[in-house]
Amino acid sequence: MVRPPVDLSVNVGGLALRYPTLMGSGCYGTGAEFAPFADLSRIGAIVLKSATLAPRLGNAMPRLVHTPAGLLNAIGLQNPGIDWLVEHEIAALGGMPCPIVGSAAGFSVDEYAQVCGRLDASPEISAIELNISCPNVASEGETFACDANLTASVVRAARAATRKPLIVKLSPNVTDIAAIAREAERAGADALAVVNTVRGMAIDVERWEPRLGNVAGGLSGPAIRPIAVLAVYEVARAVRIPIVGQGGIANASDALEFILAGASAVGIGTANFLDPRVPERIAVELAEYLASRNLRAISEIVGRANAGFATPEQREGDAG
Amino acid sequence: MAVSASRVHETRVVARIEATAGVVVLRMQAPELAAIARPGQFVMAIPPGEASAAVALGLYDADAESVSLLFFVAGKRTKVLAALRPGEPLVLLGPLGNGFDLRDAPKDVAIVAGGVGIASVLLAALELLRAGARVRLFYGARTARLLVERERFASAGCEIVLATDDGTAGLRGFVTDALASAHMPALILACGPTPMLRATATIAASANVPAQLALEETFACGVGGCWGCVVPLVQESAQAPHFPKTRDGIVRARICAEGPVFSASELRW
Ligand SMILES: Cc1cc2nc3c(=O)[nH]c(=O)nc-3n(C[C@H](O)[C@H](O)[C@H](O)COP(=O)(O)O)c2cc1C
Ligand code: FES
Repeated sequence: MVRPPVDLSVNVGGLALRYPTLMGSGCYGTGAEFAPFADLSRIGAIVLKSATLAPRLGNAMPRLVHTPAGLLNAIGLQNPGIDWLVEHEIAALGGMPCPIVGSAAGFSVDEYAQVCGRLDASPEISAIELNISCPNVASEGETFACDANLTASVVRAARAATRKPLIVKLSPNVTDIAAIAREAERAGADALAVVNTVRGMAIDVERWEPRLGNVAGGLSGPAIRPIAVLAVYEVARAVRIPIVGQGGIANASDALEFILAGASAVGIGTANFLDPRVPERIAVELAEYLASRNLRAISEIVGRANAGFATPEQREGDAG
Repeated sequence: MAVSASRVHETRVVARIEATAGVVVLRMQAPELAAIARPGQFVMAIPPGEASAAVALGLYDADAESVSLLFFVAGKRTKVLAALRPGEPLVLLGPLGNGFDLRDAPKDVAIVAGGVGIASVLLAALELLRAGARVRLFYGARTARLLVERERFASAGCEIVLATDDGTAGLRGFVTDALASAHMPALILACGPTPMLRATATIAASANVPAQLALEETFACGVGGCWGCVVPLVQESAQAPHFPKTRDGIVRARICAEGPVFSASELRW
């Protein structure tokens, strides 16, 4: 029996993707680093490492600790600054076989707006992710995503700086992520990325000192998946804009948990460090999963494990 | 059809030797990798099962058909790799990193290796010996039992100077103490723990001998994508030409991408 092809394409707040997989910011370089190991035409999009207005040296080493079911990192947003990136790195990404999403970070509302403005002016950039949730910079890094009012003001400023699809990346390190999500939506976000890393630390019991140069870091990988799935589930009930679910996704079954909780697409970060072929494999297995259930499109199952979730079609009053 | 990614090697284990308890040499059938691997480069080995990251391992040995990896069993991921048996598959990504620069290498070279650092220097020794150089291996470990693969280096033609922390083989103390009191070579290559590399750099600087140091660090991606493995270099370093100018004249380069081999004189650690 020849089955009709399964449609894995998704639209994330105006960002049209052939595959529902976005490579997590900070985990995939510019994509060029992974080109010898992965087929970039079989992934949805690459989210670039977060950029700031001014150059940043990043945190002291060590920046990485492997943990039993994940990875602790404290890179500290090392980057040469948005102007250099736009001129030297982003300009070279025109030929990439998938869309490129820029990621903006900052320490004030104005900085975020300026970085968004530069990304907005770069034709190679298809959408902008607002990283208001980096746990690895000493002072204000994460405060934006931890405060509803600050979230609203930074998203408003970013919204004013770009017409490209704006994805706001939320932190799991909050009491009520749904409340923050609502503010981001109200302030003009087109989509939400849920979630960034979970704060954590590791201690060297021989030397009696923290293992990370920055002391605290962000935990990613399978260890955080249940935390992230719940965050998506709660956010999906609170907003109407699409969600990019992420946190510990390493196979199609993991991705399906997020999609069934209400994510339209998934982010894949740490799993690329195990095997860069994971995102392609997830796409193949998602297609098999849908085909085996006689489903035609990934969009049909978004939020289906979430009783409080209304699909975009249902919202428009069209059950099709 | 998916375009097959060019640096992914689906290999098969052809031999497994336990050099000593807890130190394993795995040989894989991997002709394409063997054909392009250069001394000092490394691979990311994907442990089968539920691991959350691949393992960076130096390319220890190679012939026309196969490559060998030498590693110490240190955690969950290396334990899984150590359990592999001949016939079983293993995926390797690589070769990665810059490797040693042996072009126009002089005829008198010292190689300094500490512990698992031995895994990254054999191919360099072999290439230098083939070119007719005198190669002295200064090899240190905690104890004699851990000075694995000495015969491999000796039979290839290396002169070997040993050092152990407990004095069970060779000099009691640091291998760099042995280097410091030896006749100076025209080039030093080194791989091992950071204190050993620092000491090597100091000796090289005071004797005005060029040194290439292969740095060891925890990697996540191993391919330059995450910036988790940086080391400070002088701004003018030939290894960081594409880095923007910084006010303090120092750039932080990725050990996995710009390295793992750095010229000792360009490191600012
Ligand atoms: C090494 C590393 C660096 C990261 N850098 C960034 C970053 O610069 N900006 C950002 O928004 N998220 C960053 N993240 C978070 C990831 O994009 C992702 O949201 C998170 O790791 C959870 O997904 P995962 O478990 O699939 O990795 C980083 C994660 C890791 C592991
Ligand atoms: S380990 Fe990721 S950049 Fe080196």
